[in-house]
Amino acid sequence: MKLSSLMDSAYLKKGPGRRLKTREGDMIFSLEDLADRVGNKPSRDAVKELIPEDRTQVDLLISTDPGKRYALIWGYLTSLAAERSTAPLVLPSRDYVGLELRRGTIILAEARDHVGEKMSGGRIVVQGKAGDYLGQEMQGGRIIARGCRDYAFRNMRDGFGVVLGDAGKFLGLGNSGGRIAVRGSCKERAGWLMRSGSLNVLGDAGEYLGLLMSGGRIRVKGIAGRRAGWRKKGGSIAAGGFGPEAAIDVIELE
Amino acid sequence: MPDPHKKIQQLIASLEEERLHVGRKDLAIGRQRVNAQLYFSIANACLRGRVVLLYGGMGANKTTLINLLGSSFLSMDLDRVEDIMVTGHPEQTEEKIVGFLDPRQWTVTASATGPTQVLWTAWAASNWKLINEINRFPSGKQNLFLEILQKRKISYAGQLCRPGDTCYFATMNPEFSGTYPLDEALRDRISACVPATQPDFLAGLLLSERETDVRDLADQLPRFTSQEFSSLPGIVENKPLAGQVELAILCLIRDFTLCERAPFYDKTQLSQSKPSLGLCSGCHYQNNPEAICWQVDEGLSDRVRQDLRIFCRAFAYLLDRDADLEVLKAIAPYIIWHRTTPMRHALEKPPYFGAGKLAYVARLVENSINRTMNEREEMNRIFSRAVDKEMSTAKAIEELSLFDDPIARLDFIPALEDLP
Repeated sequence: MKLSSLMDSAYLKKGPGRRLKTREGDMIFSLEDLADRVGNKPSRDAVKELIPEDRTQVDLLISTDPGKRYALIWGYLTSLAAERSTAPLVLPSRDYVGLELRRGTIILAEARDHVGEKMSGGRIVVQGKAGDYLGQEMQGGRIIARGCRDYAFRNMRDGFGVVLGDAGKFLGLGNSGGRIAVRGSCKERAGWLMRSGSLNVLGDAGEYLGLLMSGGRIRVKGIAGRRAGWRKKGGSIAAGGFGPEAAIDVIELE
Repeated sequence: MPDPHKKIQQLIASLEEERLHVGRKDLAIGRQRVNAQLYFSIANACLRGRVVLLYGGMGANKTTLINLLGSSFLSMDLDRVEDIMVTGHPEQTEEKIVGFLDPRQWTVTASATGPTQVLWTAWAASNWKLINEINRFPSGKQNLFLEILQKRKISYAGQLCRPGDTCYFATMNPEFSGTYPLDEALRDRISACVPATQPDFLAGLLLSERETDVRDLADQLPRFTSQEFSSLPGIVENKPLAGQVELAILCLIRDFTLCERAPFYDKTQLSQSKPSLGLCSGCHYQNNPEAICWQVDEGLSDRVRQDLRIFCRAFAYLLDRDADLEVLKAIAPYIIWHRTTPMRHALEKPPYFGAGKLAYVARLVENSINRTMNEREEMNRIFSRAVDKEMSTAKAIEELSLFDDPIARLDFIPALEDLP
């Protein structure tokens, strides 16, 4: 039997029916509703597909406290809202603000952890200090913060990160691109495992600056702590001064 | 020859009138409402090589109902039918169930050189087999039934017993201290699993008014001749199946079985990894309520397709109607639910509360059939035109790639890519 005959008998020889309309028509009233549909650790596309077009509804979702459970979903919502907004979006201080942001501007009075994670475009301005993992896995865009704690701009691939004050430990860990500028000082192990990109520090740097780095450029105008460039395989480090046991090929700035 | 259909209707009426079975009409097929336990049992009596499992608490008329039907269809006393069944307990052995070597063959000199003599049990030789309390068999002994169920012959000690086409029934209680879990392979051989519930208020009242013994009442049930009994499978087989039903069954099976991350996109290939253990984490279809793949751990075997087709026909015959989508929607949950394990977090939500597995599977079935009939027409037609060479394979693949449907992506497109 021809397969078309089976289809004709099944669909009673009607013309083509309507197309699949996946996930249409269901209202999302809360973060819990959204999580029911996409899970607690969804992809950006999954969240994007379900969030309502209505601005007030999105604002309502953003205004609710996500707790730890829905933090990722909330983070995606902030990015999607910022992308739709024509004016800069002012948001409360919570984790994952601007997660995978692609365009638009977000302004934060203070920031908590994971702000601007995986962003590939747009701008985030933190008027106060940021928490851990600021701009982690950034692929583009720019972040400006008054200060930050540990692991800022970790695994950065592209984009521009500016810290107007001091940065914590492990700044630019594992970077393979992008630019980081720190007006104050940074703590130990900045540029650890760095492969590419640049890191500029106006103040001092902690010990083990550029530990195991294999590429990229580090400039410290102040003094770098002990063992700068320890077991370094490539790239360049230049600083105003070095503590003991610095690598042979580090350059002292005049 | 008299029409067996008429006699079946008389049997159903007698069972209700004599209060031998007073269950609620819990199965809605279109506008008709019937009792699932009774109709599935009778449908199975009209078929051969299928297994119906009645599942429920003690005293829910599971074993008695099957024996009463056996008494009527085989035209035997109820006592004799009861002697045929086997009952599960840890001390049951293959010898007690199937048969044992006749010890006399070694005492008679003349027959010592002949073939081995086996004394078959009444259960083995009968073509009406009831396995009572099947989950009281320890797991290892349940394996014995893997070989026997749905077969026409039984082997033991190199000898064969050929009871011919057989009706298989089984009963089981929910998990108690003396029960063992049913093996997945054995569950797959069970064609349909039907909940047997306790009598409700009115039924209890009717039963309390019954004064005659079940054995006496059983004698009053209509009796089928062996010719009538053996003609039933042929009559059912001749019942035509609507094209919609054929297509809906195919899509239903694929909806449950396809998995983007399983080898060959086939969920039945999975062993350690499964949806409930995080297989679907981050998958495109996860948490999409319209996709069924991530909602159940197991895929469905081809036995399900066969069971769905034949039970659709049997119900259409019993209810004297066409084997259409209404029949399929009503019976498919009973054929699928015992073979699958839904995602715990989805099943625990209202209105299922962790206990409504059959209702949950019924919703999945309904979703799949509705989607096939209302939303899959365009992609199904594209695929069929490409298979029938009415359009180019490349164009069909291009058009099918626009459909966000597991069947289009994981079944149709790979099939078209393999076409010569």
